[in-house]
Amino acid sequence: MDLPVLNIPETAKEGGCSASSCGSSDSQVNHLPDHIREKVQNHPCYSEDAHHYFARMHVAVAPACNIQCHYCNRKYDCANESRPGVVSELLTPEQAVKKTMAVAAKIPQMTVLGIAGPGDPLANPERTFETFRMLTRDAPDIKLCVSTNGLQLPESVDELAKANIDHVTITINTIDAEIGAKIYPWIFWKNRRIKGRKGAQILIDQQQKGLEMLVQRGILVKVNSVMIPGINDEHLAEVSRTVKSKGAFLHNVMPLIAEAEHGTFYGVMGQRGPTPDELMDLQERCSGDMNMMRHCRQCRADAVGLLGEDRGAEFTLDKIDAMEIDYASAMEMRRQVQEGIMADMESKRSTQQKKAKPAVPDGARPVLMAVATSGQGIINQHFGHAKEFQIYQASPEGVRFMSHRKTEQYCSGDSTCGDAESALAITVRSLAGCEAVLCSKIGYEPWEMLEEAGIVPNGEHAMESIEEAVMAVYREMLENGKVDETPAARRANAEM
Amino acid sequence: MALKIIESCVNCFACEPVCPSQAIFAAEPHFLIDPKKCTECEGAHAVPQCASICPIEGALLDSLGEAINPPGSLTGIPPEKMAQAMAELRSH
Ligand code: SF4
Ligand code: SF4
Repeated sequence: MDLPVLNIPETAKEGGCSASSCGSSDSQVNHLPDHIREKVQNHPCYSEDAHHYFARMHVAVAPACNIQCHYCNRKYDCANESRPGVVSELLTPEQAVKKTMAVAAKIPQMTVLGIAGPGDPLANPERTFETFRMLTRDAPDIKLCVSTNGLQLPESVDELAKANIDHVTITINTIDAEIGAKIYPWIFWKNRRIKGRKGAQILIDQQQKGLEMLVQRGILVKVNSVMIPGINDEHLAEVSRTVKSKGAFLHNVMPLIAEAEHGTFYGVMGQRGPTPDELMDLQERCSGDMNMMRHCRQCRADAVGLLGEDRGAEFTLDKIDAMEIDYASAMEMRRQVQEGIMADMESKRSTQQKKAKPAVPDGARPVLMAVATSGQGIINQHFGHAKEFQIYQASPEGVRFMSHRKTEQYCSGDSTCGDAESALAITVRSLAGCEAVLCSKIGYEPWEMLEEAGIVPNGEHAMESIEEAVMAVYREMLENGKVDETPAARRANAEM
Repeated sequence: MALKIIESCVNCFACEPVCPSQAIFAAEPHFLIDPKKCTECEGAHAVPQCASICPIEGALLDSLGEAINPPGSLTGIPPEKMAQAMAELRSH
């Protein structure tokens, strides 16, 4: 049976989308062939634009795993943890379906359900596929996706196709067994635990074979990679080329998160994660070959809601039991709400397209700017309230979304900010490489610190469209000769 | 002769489906092995299946009461390194 697809209006193919936050004409989604773009443009995880409007959820039905990764600790399981893969409540397939139906009734923007862990969904085939079967029957409008380490993928492709899965994410950190042995200490394969290089080679072969088989079946494949400095950072550009040549439609490079308190191998052994600069550089290097995904928030395996938010606490099993839900009208409600959103996104996109391309001299140096926004593509957040900044690049080609950077929130709104200063310093440091910050408002102290760091604070474009404001600031910088000046020179001037 | 699951088990379900003797069952507070059913995989597999997939060091004991996967054997973290890191965290 086919999943009913929302009626998606045709969008212009090129020259086009400078719609805010979708990342402009160079964006991941707009570069995709039409049939793929249509499948993903209401998928919050795949489109920077869609994630402001559509919601997704993950259910934790798959606890078992068949490999060990050095960035994972199977013992850790705490409600305050927000790392990917972490969950607090394991669900049976029946409970998972009930939860999904409840969330989809209360959050009509919900388009996608994913199964991603805490173990590997394909190492728990009964639980995973039972969940998918029930949902295809009860909520056929919801898209299903699954995220796997790939070890059991070739053996699962038939089942995945039958279950109407249209997206599979494979985590591929390497295609070289030597490197693999430094990431995967063991795998469970054909009734044995296989360690080291040999195990890594089997995993790599299975991942690549699975990728090819999925592509043959017309199932979309996204590849996730964890960037581990000194281990696979130099190698990931090659991974990107390889998976693209085999037909993966999107590559998502994520930073390693490693702290000693997580009890992971990398955490305990002091392996560091990449800096925001290093991550962005690598994403840039890969993007010549591949559609890169730049807005992944690395959510928990049981996250609920819009990207970057987690409403999971509203949907615990006992709360769901207490809810009264009319499923049929909930599905109708979803259809209406989502049609409205699509129409809205479309009209924004076409107004953006009508605007002429800004006149900027060719060859001008590109500039990075950070933007404080709570969504909808406008500059609408106070500097001190931003939990993350979106990084945009302005260049003669236009404005494109590059990445987002998390901050320490230094202002919690009360007067008892204890570590205010150091947190502010951390935030300023996290903006390294940016030359301006656009926000709705900013306090005196951060203003000074930013200027000292050679970053120009700008509160003049509050409530304006991000793309237009970034371009306006870029043009202003050009006119004032600031683009010829290197950031270091400006810092020196500011100190005088 | 039977293997035993002890309290460090994290209830990850991995061992249950791979047991050829249906000896493993979910229980509170953790999974258990029915000693009457466990064959130590004798005749079915070269190595005990549960102990070959379990990700938790020390969660499975052999019939002599010894950990089949001792500290460091699965994660690759040297036990002294782990102890040191945990001590540092506690002192904060
Ligand atoms: S040793 Fe073999 S038979 Fe015994 S519990 Fe483990 S898997 Fe089952
Ligand atoms: S595999 Fe190990 S941790 Fe997982 S349920 Fe079995 S004994 Fe417990």
